[in-house]
Amino acid sequence: MRTPLRPLPRILDARAKGENPDAIERENRRLRGEATRDKSRQRAEGRLLVMSVLFLAAFLTVGLRMGSFAAARPEEPQTDASSQQIYSQRADIVDRKGRVLATNLLTHALYAQPPMMIDPTGTADKLVKIFPDLDRDRLIKDFTGARKFVWIKKRISPEQLQAVHDIGDPGLLFGPREMRLYPNGHLASHILGGARYGTEGVNSAEILGVAGIEREYDKWLRDPANGGKSLKLSLDLTVQSALEDVLSGGMKLMNAKGATAVLMKARTGEIVAMASLPDFDPNDRPAPLLKGDPSDSPLFNRAVQGVYELGSTFKIFAVSQAMQMGLVTPETMIDTKGPLRWGKFRIHDFHDYGKQLSVTDVIVHSSNIGTARIVQKIGPEKQREFLGKLGLLEPAPVELIEAPTGRPILPQNWSELSAMTIGYGHGLSDSPLQLAAAYATIANDGKRVLPTLIAKGGPREPVKQEFGAAEGAQVVSPEVAHKALAMMRAVVTRGTASYGDVPGYQVAGKTGTADKPDPQGGYYNDKVISTFAGVFPVTDPQYVLVLTLDEPTDTSGNEPRRTAGWTAVPVAAETIRRVAPLLGLRPEPTTPDTLDGIRLVKKD
Amino acid sequence: MSYLESNLKTVPTGWRKIFYLNWPLVILLTAVACAGFLMLYSVAGGNIHTWAEPQMKRFALGMVAMFLVAFIPVWFWRNVSAMAYFIAFLLLVAVEFFGAIGMGAQRWLEIGPLRIQPSELMKITLVMLLAAYYDWLPVEKVSRPLWVFIPAIIILAPTFLVLAQPDLGTAVMLVMGGAFVMFAAGVSLWYFGTVLALVVALVFGVMETRGTPYQLLHDYQYKRIDTFLDPGSDPLGAGYNIMQAQIALGSGGWAGRGFMQGTQSRLNFLPEKHTDFIFTTLAEEFGFVGAFSLLMLYAGIIGFALYTAMATKDRFASLLSFGVAGTFFFFFAINMAMVMGLMPVVGVPLPLVSYGGTAMLILLAAFGLVQSAHIHRPRQR
Repeated sequence: MRTPLRPLPRILDARAKGENPDAIERENRRLRGEATRDKSRQRAEGRLLVMSVLFLAAFLTVGLRMGSFAAARPEEPQTDASSQQIYSQRADIVDRKGRVLATNLLTHALYAQPPMMIDPTGTADKLVKIFPDLDRDRLIKDFTGARKFVWIKKRISPEQLQAVHDIGDPGLLFGPREMRLYPNGHLASHILGGARYGTEGVNSAEILGVAGIEREYDKWLRDPANGGKSLKLSLDLTVQSALEDVLSGGMKLMNAKGATAVLMKARTGEIVAMASLPDFDPNDRPAPLLKGDPSDSPLFNRAVQGVYELGSTFKIFAVSQAMQMGLVTPETMIDTKGPLRWGKFRIHDFHDYGKQLSVTDVIVHSSNIGTARIVQKIGPEKQREFLGKLGLLEPAPVELIEAPTGRPILPQNWSELSAMTIGYGHGLSDSPLQLAAAYATIANDGKRVLPTLIAKGGPREPVKQEFGAAEGAQVVSPEVAHKALAMMRAVVTRGTASYGDVPGYQVAGKTGTADKPDPQGGYYNDKVISTFAGVFPVTDPQYVLVLTLDEPTDTSGNEPRRTAGWTAVPVAAETIRRVAPLLGLRPEPTTPDTLDGIRLVKKD
Repeated sequence: MSYLESNLKTVPTGWRKIFYLNWPLVILLTAVACAGFLMLYSVAGGNIHTWAEPQMKRFALGMVAMFLVAFIPVWFWRNVSAMAYFIAFLLLVAVEFFGAIGMGAQRWLEIGPLRIQPSELMKITLVMLLAAYYDWLPVEKVSRPLWVFIPAIIILAPTFLVLAQPDLGTAVMLVMGGAFVMFAAGVSLWYFGTVLALVVALVFGVMETRGTPYQLLHDYQYKRIDTFLDPGSDPLGAGYNIMQAQIALGSGGWAGRGFMQGTQSRLNFLPEKHTDFIFTTLAEEFGFVGAFSLLMLYAGIIGFALYTAMATKDRFASLLSFGVAGTFFFFFAINMAMVMGLMPVVGVPLPLVSYGGTAMLILLAAFGLVQSAHIHRPRQR
């Protein structure tokens, strides 16, 4: 409410008292002026406060921002995936003597950050000059598109690194990383398998095993708890090299399409050398076959994954079992008059061996009829049980990721006929490795041997098996085992494997030639799997060698010969000749007249 | 007769005025300028002749100007404020026709050996005229539409001229400085609210019309906005300034790399390293401590200018001091915010530190006005 400047009552009152009424107006004017000033001052002070707050806020914002910059840690460009720590360490793999089979090498990856690129097109041109396998159009598309990060090469050599560095584009960057290196190239490729990159970061990359022992032991190899300890294999690099050398030569000589060999310590099951041809370079693993038979791929490990009807090499199991059961002795005469009819089937021998053969001669001459007759005495159930104990009915428990895929092919119905054919190695498919382990069991005085790739004292995995006897369990008695060995020695000295004799190393063994099954049904006439399973030296069995050739043909004679005696045996003999000295075996001087009188007891 | 003139007798006269100067303000201004000399010496790679020496000469000239302005009674400045505004306005118009072109904009006017930037002069004469206007205008009329319209024209007329140069930074500063004086004078908050709403609408409109034939800003200005919103989007192009500035700020850390050790500015990574982006060099070489100290010096300058504004009872002197303090504040606040990526890059130098003649001279003269208000305030005898 406004006070009037000249309130009438006060004016009249003043006039009555004779005072100047203008003084009242002046006084009121002064009061009103002061009131206005107070009001505007109040308002001004309010505004001042608002401004001070705004200034303060601005100062604080700028100050805080400065602080946040000062506190910032430098950040290197990173890919999205690298948010978690990449543990790139991977233990070496070495052979039994500590020689490196797989190791890591520091290398660089090449990547691009297109936003930082100055000249994307020119850079792409220069890159294609250095790496002819790169696609120029694709690079330009990547470099000029919206992508902020592009991998160009996962691994580059020092020379390539320098060349790319010389391009000088700030958008091209290098990331240090380790790569898996297999310095021996093709050697033991199927055992080692290979590696690839897992989680990839700019500063490191994870190396994961893709196959073989690398995959099987992936966790162990990457486990920091091992403290960088190497994985020691039972392999011997020198022996492996010699074995592969001879095997590839033999494969060519025998016109085979594939070959495999397993050299195993008879007493422990340690695999000293194992090869499968054709092979590959684990440094540059070929892509798996997308169509066709996977066993045609070089990646296919014939020794472990390949299951074949291994033919007459199985005869020794039937004879051993029969001797163990007391049904026969080596001298027992077996009726070998052929053909042996069973229902509508007939069993033939390669040659006619007359009316009778001793059990030893059934093995020496590899008589199907004789073996079938022996199996008839054993019976299917007992046979099945015995082969199971030798580990021939389930995949070999070896430390390779592929091992479970080497599953034996069993007959659908284990009939008496099946039993007879299985007796001479038809109707049951096994891998060469399984055969080697079974032979090792006989060589090891009849005590079960399990195959392994890990050197003694290494991180062996517990073995799971359904039918197989436990390691060290007596499958046949030592006497029976020795008798079986004597028969196998006779096979070499005067039987089907006469080319297998290596003077001084007393090789014993058994040949096997099996017709290959035709996928259309029946068997091929001209395609065989030819196998030699040997033990040496027979006087003190140390090593078992199983050597298999896929579709061999020996063309050195007048007509092509495919039987193991002409194909697998000479190659195996050459192998033994090469590796026995490397294995540290001393050749025994032998004279021809002692060949038949084999000493089966350990000489001391 | 104004309140001030009626109390003339209490105002210091003659050489005694020197004792009544706002000395802390003088010391702070000198300190900031010295920081500027150091930085200019450093960015020139240890060469004093490149930028530091001319800057020192200008500072000396500016100090003389400040004292001259300070010794002239503040009511003289009130009386000439309208004229000063019109002179500055005419110069701005002249720049449109005769101005020299530099950095893609028409900003300089060359008169003999002198190169002046009328837009810098306008910053201060605008504040003067507005202060005089509100001194003249009775307090109760301040918020009436007609009396708000007039100062709005006073602000917007030169703003459009500056925008046409084009110089977005100075235009923003003119509007902010003018609005600041109006705010201090007590214009109703409704006007400010309305204008703010309009600005928001305008920003929206600007972004919406982008790409159409009638877009409101230049392409480079749009690019600066983009860059502000995401400096990483174009690290080698428009975002380069900000990215490099932030790298420099970050590389300084808390204590800095040491005088003359900044790599960003030394290796020429930084653009405009001696002008708009000189703050990054300071932050890189002296770290958070150095940058924050400079901020505190600026805060001190604002504080003492505000003290002058509040101590005087004369409305013109008070509003003028407020206006100068506000303009100065916007100067460095916009520069720092822009360098730190809190604002789009608009091209505002760091006051008293960045290399540049007119801005330094005009700023010191403006503080002369504040000093004048300080000296010529009525005092108890």
